[in-house]
Amino acid sequence: MSEPISSERFAVLVERAGLKLTPEQFEELRQGYRFVERMTRTVRRQRDRAAEPAHIFVQPRI
Amino acid sequence: MDPTLLTVAEASRAIGEGRLSPVTLTEAYLDRIAALDGELHSYVTVLREAALDAAHGAARDIAAGRSRGALHGISIGLKDIYKTRGIRTTAGSPRYEHNVPDEDAETWVRLCDAGAILLGKHETHEFAIGGPDFGLPFPPARNPWNTAYYPGGSSSGSAVAVASGLCAAAMGSDTGGSIRGPAAYNGIVGLKPTYGRVSRRGVFPLSYTLDHCGPLTRTVEDCAILMQALAGYDPQDPASADTPVRDYRAALTGRLDGLRIGVIRHFHERDAVADFGADSAPNAAYVAAFEDACRRLEALGARLVDVSLSPLIDYLDANRLIMLAEAYALHEADFRERPQLFGHHMFARVGLGAFLSAADYVEALRQRRELAVEFARALADVDAAISANATAPAPRIDQVPFWGVFERASYTAPYNLTGSPALSIPIGFENGLPLAFQIVGKPFDEAMVMRVGHAFEQATDFHRQRPPIAASLPQHR
Repeated sequence: MSEPISSERFAVLVERAGLKLTPEQFEELRQGYRFVERMTRTVRRQRDRAAEPAHIFVQPRI
Repeated sequence: MDPTLLTVAEASRAIGEGRLSPVTLTEAYLDRIAALDGELHSYVTVLREAALDAAHGAARDIAAGRSRGALHGISIGLKDIYKTRGIRTTAGSPRYEHNVPDEDAETWVRLCDAGAILLGKHETHEFAIGGPDFGLPFPPARNPWNTAYYPGGSSSGSAVAVASGLCAAAMGSDTGGSIRGPAAYNGIVGLKPTYGRVSRRGVFPLSYTLDHCGPLTRTVEDCAILMQALAGYDPQDPASADTPVRDYRAALTGRLDGLRIGVIRHFHERDAVADFGADSAPNAAYVAAFEDACRRLEALGARLVDVSLSPLIDYLDANRLIMLAEAYALHEADFRERPQLFGHHMFARVGLGAFLSAADYVEALRQRRELAVEFARALADVDAAISANATAPAPRIDQVPFWGVFERASYTAPYNLTGSPALSIPIGFENGLPLAFQIVGKPFDEAMVMRVGHAFEQATDFHRQRPPIAASLPQHR
């Protein structure tokens, strides 16, 4: 598992997300951010441009 | 005779033949809740008076020849994310501690119409993800096989109540394994039906495209009885599928002759350690129980063939990323404005969703389609497949890894991603704690999944064992 994101970089992400965190919450989410990094690595891969996502728009039935 | 020892099918037969009154059955469950639930914490709300009123009504209707079928007069419970009109529905959260909905979940409407009696609402992890959290107003449910141990989650109270004889059956929800994990740790049966098979309307969402509602029962036959009432099209649930419903009990033939069953071994034999490290290694007793279960399926007439899929992590990370994105979007306003209302576990687990991009989410959805196609192709040549469930018995409740939902292997979440029906069924015990595997099927083929599970169950006696704490009360012996 990779090193945790630096506090400086993570503070930027927190600011952009509009969160106001206590120091404990900040540190907890910073430690957990490594899972976000792993998940995004796993799903980002070379795909055919026509490869569609798993759900599409369906007209509502009223 | 203790009526709470009866399965739904047995109690139903006894009620139909006039040997058991719904009132006697309901009173027996209420007595057990009063005697045992102070230690087990499986209920957050007990509906004593309403349940007894309903039981008297059922008794009158049945005596007058107005039976509504196999669930009439049977006592059940609902995970406390199922909305119930006029009855507190907390979602396990301080935010909804005093929430009283003005509508019923569609699933409860269907069970109520079938004559089921609601004993109460079951403890859940906060919003079906944040637990076991000791900082919330509702103490986490305890594993009845050993109350120092974790009962799984998030449908914790539902599974504990069924395993302990505090209700005949219960409803849970499952976004990554929240029905099947607790079913495994409590030694009972849990079904996550096909996505779209059972309505989600009126159930607090966690992740719109991964949430499933389903039953927790003591036997597969009981599961079939509940599914007969639950399955069907709901035009007000956008994900509901207008697909015919089979006669599930008729599918329980007891034999597997001529069936081909796939075995998904590499998830637990290779991928768990390769992708998640040694902490995810299957326990030796579990591997032995899994292999013994395979041999029993062969003895029942099935031919087993290995099935190979993409690595487990491909399924898990797509599932977890989609869940995080959808759950965070659902709760974003509270994360920004009222974060103090979340419990510690819920805050950390769902809060990570704040750092995902729209492109991350779309890429996970594209991966989901690829894996769903792969899985459909892999199951094309078999009738069903078996897969590990938790590969070790339950941990102590004070030793559940805080980040376990992201850092450990899970064998249930792949089938939320594919939307496949998946049934958890007991396959043994280690140190007095239950072990289980899953039977996974093709879309809308719950009948085959239950057929395989029922045949296996008939050839074993794991489902007949009951936790020591759940022994009959003196007045019921």
